[in-house]
Amino acid sequence: MAKKLLVVDDSPVSRSIIKKCLPKGHDFELYEADDGRQGLEKFQEVRPDATLLDLTMPVMDGFEALAEIKKVDPDALVIVLTADIQPKAYEKVMALGAAMVIPKPPSPETLADGLAKTGLI
Amino acid sequence: MNRSQEVTAFSQDDAKILEEVMNIAFGKASADLAKVVDIRILLTAPKVEFLKADDLLQWIKQDTKTDDTLNMIEQNFWGKYTGSAFLAFPSSASKGLISLFDDDDELPLGEKSPLLEKETLLEVGNILIGACVGKVAELLDDNVSFSPPRLVPQLVIDNLSSEAISSKLNDPDKMAILIKTVFNFEDKDVKGFLFLVAGEESMQWLKMALKNFMAKF
Repeated sequence: MAKKLLVVDDSPVSRSIIKKCLPKGHDFELYEADDGRQGLEKFQEVRPDATLLDLTMPVMDGFEALAEIKKVDPDALVIVLTADIQPKAYEKVMALGAAMVIPKPPSPETLADGLAKTGLI
Repeated sequence: MNRSQEVTAFSQDDAKILEEVMNIAFGKASADLAKVVDIRILLTAPKVEFLKADDLLQWIKQDTKTDDTLNMIEQNFWGKYTGSAFLAFPSSASKGLISLFDDDDELPLGEKSPLLEKETLLEVGNILIGACVGKVAELLDDNVSFSPPRLVPQLVIDNLSSEAISSKLNDPDKMAILIKTVFNFEDKDVKGFLFLVAGEESMQWLKMALKNFMAKF
């Protein structure tokens, strides 16, 4: 059965890179949103198995989107994929309930490792 | 090929790829600076624009919507991508930056050593430009060397004939890649601009390097 995966990132280039790095041999049903607000709405609509969430986005940033997603579903699996590699950013998203942080740009290895460690694959 | 054709040759797709490369590079730069000031730096998503170099300062003035002067740090870099990086802060915002590095709260900002202010701005510029351009080079398989940073203080944007301004900003043959981000140092609103100026040869290399970057995935 396909796993529902929601990719929230304002950059179409970043979303393209993420999709190309997804591990082969697994069936994913992909959904996309290009800012935090759209991501939250899409999350409520499709209830994905996992959300890959950027932090630096217009309209609603990833921190706020993560907090809102966790209000909707405290058990939601959210993996933060970000260029913001400051320790304080890492601490903040982990406190908000992110499962893990993967620095950009991802590679097939880091993404597969992240999805495996969080139990999605 | 004239200048407007050069801009057209750099497609919207190229710009989107460059924005993502710069997003990663700004992340590295802010992380490096955050280690020094021990404060969280918030960044907006970078926006890339291609302009004539001699239009840059007026563009910045329109965007800042202020009559404030600018403190500008310039650093040259050489590699397959060769050019100059400029980090510009409105002078009022520069004072907020300086206070982050200064443990001496007893003296008001206006009475602090001009040398300390200059050294602080140069260090901020060196960290941000070095980390940002260095990360771009790493992502695009380039290797760059840097000149020492140079500070142009209290620049009045309307005074473009000032000898203090780098000739690169007034060279009609140069194209500029303007990459703008807004720096917020937690509760301090510090708006800064980072932009790169390069010639046609580097722009052509950059276009190919961006294509190669995407081919890695």
